[in-house]
Amino acid sequence: MFHRQNIVRSLATLLVILVILAGIYALWLRYQIDPVTRDGKVRADMVPVAADVSGLVTDVRVADNQTVKKGDVLFIIDRPRYQLALEQASATLASQQAALAQAVRENRRNQAMRDVLAPEAIEQGRARVEELRAGIGQAQAARKLAKFNLERTLVRAPVAGTVSNMSLQPGVYLNAGKPALALVYDRSMRVEGYFEETKLPAIRVGDPASIYLMGVADEIEGHVQSIAGGVEDRERVGADGQLANVNPSFTWVRLAQRIPVRISIDKIPPNVRMIPGQTATVIVHPRNDGRSVHRSLPW
Amino acid sequence: MIEEIHILGVYMPAALVWAVLAVMLVYLIRMPLQRLPLYRLLWHPSLLEFALFVVLWWALSALGDAFLTSFLAP
Repeated sequence: MFHRQNIVRSLATLLVILVILAGIYALWLRYQIDPVTRDGKVRADMVPVAADVSGLVTDVRVADNQTVKKGDVLFIIDRPRYQLALEQASATLASQQAALAQAVRENRRNQAMRDVLAPEAIEQGRARVEELRAGIGQAQAARKLAKFNLERTLVRAPVAGTVSNMSLQPGVYLNAGKPALALVYDRSMRVEGYFEETKLPAIRVGDPASIYLMGVADEIEGHVQSIAGGVEDRERVGADGQLANVNPSFTWVRLAQRIPVRISIDKIPPNVRMIPGQTATVIVHPRNDGRSVHRSLPW
Repeated sequence: MIEEIHILGVYMPAALVWAVLAVMLVYLIRMPLQRLPLYRLLWHPSLLEFALFVVLWWALSALGDAFLTSFLAP
């Protein structure tokens, strides 16, 4: 009697332990394996807009957060100065042309009086004509450059997008090449989900995905466009061409790395606005295409 | 799937909330359970409570995802 009770107790205890393990396994599948991440970010490419010519900003045609089309004038750099430069180049060209005309006339006269003039003087006259012709080529190029610079005083939007974080005001002196404002390239808007590497085997390129922005109930539809080709190896420092410098301490607790997965957006509900930098939850729905994922158990 | 629940601007994983609810439920169930002569069936009656907690945690998250998602976001 006593013996039988022991067996019953052992079996019941074993059963309860199995229930616990099964529950933990189900929870592990639910929270560690399903390809879901709360660590997603809305991202877009930024185009820093810089002036190609230096000078004072005379006019700013856009306001912060304004949407612009490709080719729209964003701001204008000191146009009068570059207009003057063009006029100067034109005048130089005109004076060169006058000098050339004179030299050509002289040369023609010299050629007609070959008998009285020294050959040296005739040669000098011809050389002067050639010199001035080359000078005109130079002056023409300088004029074209001045015209080009004048066109470049109108700084245009290189892509369609949204002006962002702009505090440019007329009167600011801009150096050529220094970014003056940032343009968010709206067409490149996407969501990057940082999936733990344990969740990655279930994700394939082309899988449909649901995106939920923080605090927004409406679902944004998308699909997996690509998976990052690599992430930094944090155990190792040092540049190429040097010996490997591997971190000597190896932590007892290991954490799964996160791999960026690029989700391209297919459909945005009309009342949802996506802003780069927003936090998003990304749920990938693996397609049923007979893929087999051999994943290790929790140990 | 309900991934997170936010309370006063702090976003918490939903799993944590379900776990807290499961603990509370187990605490309520525990009192009637203690009246049963469980020590005759189990070596450690507290194991049963832990099993209850794990099963309730999983069940709450599964039920919450199945019904609450469509209820909250129609």
